[in-house]
Amino acid sequence: MSRAANLSTKIMTIALCGFLALSATSCAKSVNPETGYKTGISDPIEPFNRGIFAFNNIVDIVLIEPVAKIYNAIFPSFVRDGVQNFMRNLRSPIIIGNQLLQGDLKGAGVATARLIINTTAGIGGLVDVASSQGLVYEPEDFGQTLAVWGVGDGFYLVLPIVGPSSLRDTGGMVVDGVADPLRLLAHNTDNMWWYYTRLGVEGLDTRARLVKAVEDLRANSLDYYAAVRSAYSQKRYSLIRDERAGDSASIPDYGN
Amino acid sequence: MRFHLIVAACAFILFASPVAFAAKTDGTPAAQFVQKMGDKALTSLTDRQLADGVRATRVRSLLRENFDVQTIGRFVMGPSWKKATPAQKSQYMSLFEDMIVATYTKRFAEYSGQSFKVTGSTATGETDSLVKSQILQKDGPPVMVDWRVRNKDGGFKVVDVVVESISMTMTQRDDFAGVISSKGIDGLIDVLRQRAGKVAKK
Repeated sequence: MSRAANLSTKIMTIALCGFLALSATSCAKSVNPETGYKTGISDPIEPFNRGIFAFNNIVDIVLIEPVAKIYNAIFPSFVRDGVQNFMRNLRSPIIIGNQLLQGDLKGAGVATARLIINTTAGIGGLVDVASSQGLVYEPEDFGQTLAVWGVGDGFYLVLPIVGPSSLRDTGGMVVDGVADPLRLLAHNTDNMWWYYTRLGVEGLDTRARLVKAVEDLRANSLDYYAAVRSAYSQKRYSLIRDERAGDSASIPDYGN
Repeated sequence: MRFHLIVAACAFILFASPVAFAAKTDGTPAAQFVQKMGDKALTSLTDRQLADGVRATRVRSLLRENFDVQTIGRFVMGPSWKKATPAQKSQYMSLFEDMIVATYTKRFAEYSGQSFKVTGSTATGETDSLVKSQILQKDGPPVMVDWRVRNKDGGFKVVDVVVESISMTMTQRDDFAGVISSKGIDGLIDVLRQRAGKVAKK
């Protein structure tokens, strides 16, 4: 068991080094001078990505989306909010760690205060009491940390089931997973099922909240793949900068 | 002592006032414009009894009144705009507008009690402001929607809608770019026309 764990850690480390080396050497996203938006993430393996995307889309339509809709229909919103709050609270160690690595002491302070307040007054994290005190949830991950450190996207990468990502963000996800104290706890107590259940619930919560948005994009895009890639790249950009995207972009005045 | 208090009070007002103004921006003309447009959309477009044709007509007039469709359409087509013939441009623009009208007609037909609140605005350039708003849902957390508003020819027009940090025009531009690169401008026009036909039949 421990030898296997050791080996898998080694493999992950090697894989991660590869990821980072590749991300760092591939060109960073450039700002479109016309729009101010970070223009499309590069997608050199588009045919491959489109294949995985098509597969994901089928799995989503036949399995994940129906489950998400049933979940939304069965549970009232206060229960679903409780689930989200609980899941977010479990993310706290990762968020605090990444805030610190990004040198965002204020963000780390907010995340720590949230953890303490929500775990106690918020009944083990089920209620987000901290939000109403102005301590708002801010998602952070190691992919964002790498970006803050100047690592580029690498390129667009669609992961099976998980969905849109980039070389950098995939590496970040692996690091977050490896470093997560809750995973280590689950691993050391032979309760990995608990950790996987948590990942599943987290995924379901995220997907269930996107039901309407995904329906919309599927119905209204001409090239669904391209639209999702664009949305992913914009969303990541705003998360990395800790801001709402519009702040740094503009639409040209054509003088019409 | 008293003098000190007055100085302190003046200093407080001097230094605090920019902050106070920044916080209380709901009153800017751009913000008022967005709030008015939102209120009008909610009162005139969401009635469930409304016939689809009537709703579509109202959406179109509200769109033309409040959005710079010409600028949005041109931006969405991307660099190909410069290569398009006048005939292609006018076909594209009319189909593009139809597409927006169809999308929003459907959206307002499915209205389920959301309300709309402007939360602030910031000037982002000489003519542009970013008006921030929230769509409050009965079920679930509020959706953040930012409106890029341009002050032009004495009136305001929306040039972009940014939902949860994702610009609708930018997403559509990237979406259309794929079609243009594989099928060309005429290909894009064909796809839009097919879309319009499909929507109309439903």
